Amino acid sequence: MSGPPASTQFHPDGKPSPLPTPETKQSVIHARGLSKWYGNIIGLNGFNVDITEGITGIVGPNGSGKSTLFKLIVGTIKSNAGNLLVNGKRPWGNTEQLKDIGFCPDYEFLPLDMTGRQYLQFLGGLHAIEKTALSQRIVEVSGIVGMTNELDRKMNGYSKGMKQRLKIAGALLHKPRLLLLDEPLSGLDPIARRDLIELTKSLHYNHGHNIIVSSHILHEIERMTHNVVLIYKGRAVASGEITEIRNLIDKHPHNIIVEGRGVSDLAKKLLDMEYAVSVGFNESRESITVKVTRPDDFFNTLPELLEITDCEIEKMYSLDDNLESIFKYLVGW
Amino acid sequence: MGVNMIISGLLSIMKYSTRKMLFSKRWVIVLLIIILVGAIMGYAGSLEGDRLQGGTDLMDILILFFIMPVIAMIYGASLIRNEIDDKSITQVITSPLPRPISYIGYYISLVISLSMIMVLINSVGWLAFFGQQGMGDGAGSILLIMMALGVIGSIVYSSLFLVSSVIFKRPMYIGLFYAFIWEGFIGSIPGAISKYTLKHFIRSIGSSWLDFGEISLYDGASAGTAFGVLIGITVICLAVGAFLFREKEYP
Repeated sequence: MSGPPASTQFHPDGKPSPLPTPETKQSVIHARGLSKWYGNIIGLNGFNVDITEGITGIVGPNGSGKSTLFKLIVGTIKSNAGNLLVNGKRPWGNTEQLKDIGFCPDYEFLPLDMTGRQYLQFLGGLHAIEKTALSQRIVEVSGIVGMTNELDRKMNGYSKGMKQRLKIAGALLHKPRLLLLDEPLSGLDPIARRDLIELTKSLHYNHGHNIIVSSHILHEIERMTHNVVLIYKGRAVASGEITEIRNLIDKHPHNIIVEGRGVSDLAKKLLDMEYAVSVGFNESRESITVKVTRPDDFFNTLPELLEITDCEIEKMYSLDDNLESIFKYLVGW
Repeated sequence: MGVNMIISGLLSIMKYSTRKMLFSKRWVIVLLIIILVGAIMGYAGSLEGDRLQGGTDLMDILILFFIMPVIAMIYGASLIRNEIDDKSITQVITSPLPRPISYIGYYISLVISLSMIMVLINSVGWLAFFGQQGMGDGAGSILLIMMALGVIGSIVYSSLFLVSSVIFKRPMYIGLFYAFIWEGFIGSIPGAISKYTLKHFIRSIGSSWLDFGEISLYDGASAGTAFGVLIGITVICLAVGAFLFREKEYP
């Protein structure tokens, strides 16, 4: 598999080009050669990135180093090599700067025997928010995340979406400049996902928080921001405008499996199409693998081809749907 | 870092952790121990014997020197370790409160919880025994002194078991060894080696305060020396624990 075309956004060697941002935007995260390993397992490996104000998406498959990056940013773990500056300061051992950071991790940690309000009061105490101000702030943040009516219920009765919202409320409580959301959409139903995507956007555009949000699903990040960092095997492999990264990905030949009756006729027709690189039969004569350069064109013309060939499709899926294959393509592996 | 921040953070951790410990499922263990103490001392109280001597000996051997290290181990060894394992420590270590202060917050809440439990167990045992034998002169002072020794023990044992929960991944095993083998067995062997237990120094203080039972005849260190040693051990354990808690990574 060949790599993508040369681009200013693509940096398989881990050296990023600066993000195309206006000079007025301040650096939020600056990482150079950042490495973290856990025994023999690599978390981050020579990670370089510059993140400025706004919403930035960190996209990468599971185990690519997204959570490790967040933990390094909040200083719960220490890097083995390299430099990391968060709002211009080193995070490890610098608890003072946690006043400016709100962290919403991807794992479950809420004390479920408490009510949402009790939990937020506990967090408010840790941040030394004065009692009256804290009561007001709890009302504010619960309103922002849409949990006002649920605050006095014990959290063991919360849905996954409610817990996620409360985690975000906790991260917002002390009005941090930087908000870190690690896989906030993971495990949520489509409606909760949509709502959280809107909430994330609102937190930046209406409330002024800089946000770094991670996901292993590119199109979800795309709905929140156009500014992304692609991370794979502990390295930042691309960063910048999502449209350019999308273009890179779209040039990647996609493998699509088509199964059903009469697929041999469909295969013949597909060979005539400009976008088809190759068509091959799989183990069964009722299953073919189509390699296409422009998946959108393939899906657009497919209904017409099915009509012509009288083919009946039972199953169709893309082998390249997983992010892993896209990243392998991007780094030329 | 302002004083206001430190006080607010400390209070918040103390309130949260104390609540967590006192209302956890470990109450079942405490309840069983209370029933056991009540039954044993209640039975002893129904028998004839020297009232003050018998009551003091039972509270000394059963509660102070057997049950106290075990309960301190159960609560102390698991407090921080459980939060690391279930990741609920995240809310504390991602707050702007300096980690050593957070550690002290955990320690104080452990001391408060253990002291409350020891006061409760002492009260139940005392009532079960002296309720049958008759209160009379001296019984009240025995309860107060045993409670005081329980609080002193809570202060020292908490510092020891809490630091073990930061050092070891399975602090309960270390705690079991310490509570049963070192404090229980080694501490009972006649001779110099028993002086290297916390029990020895707590008992030394008790011997200078109590006029009844075997503890009053205990040939230990002077109360001042015992206090000094216990304070020293507590301070060292706290300093080591706070340092390790600050330097520790929480992946």
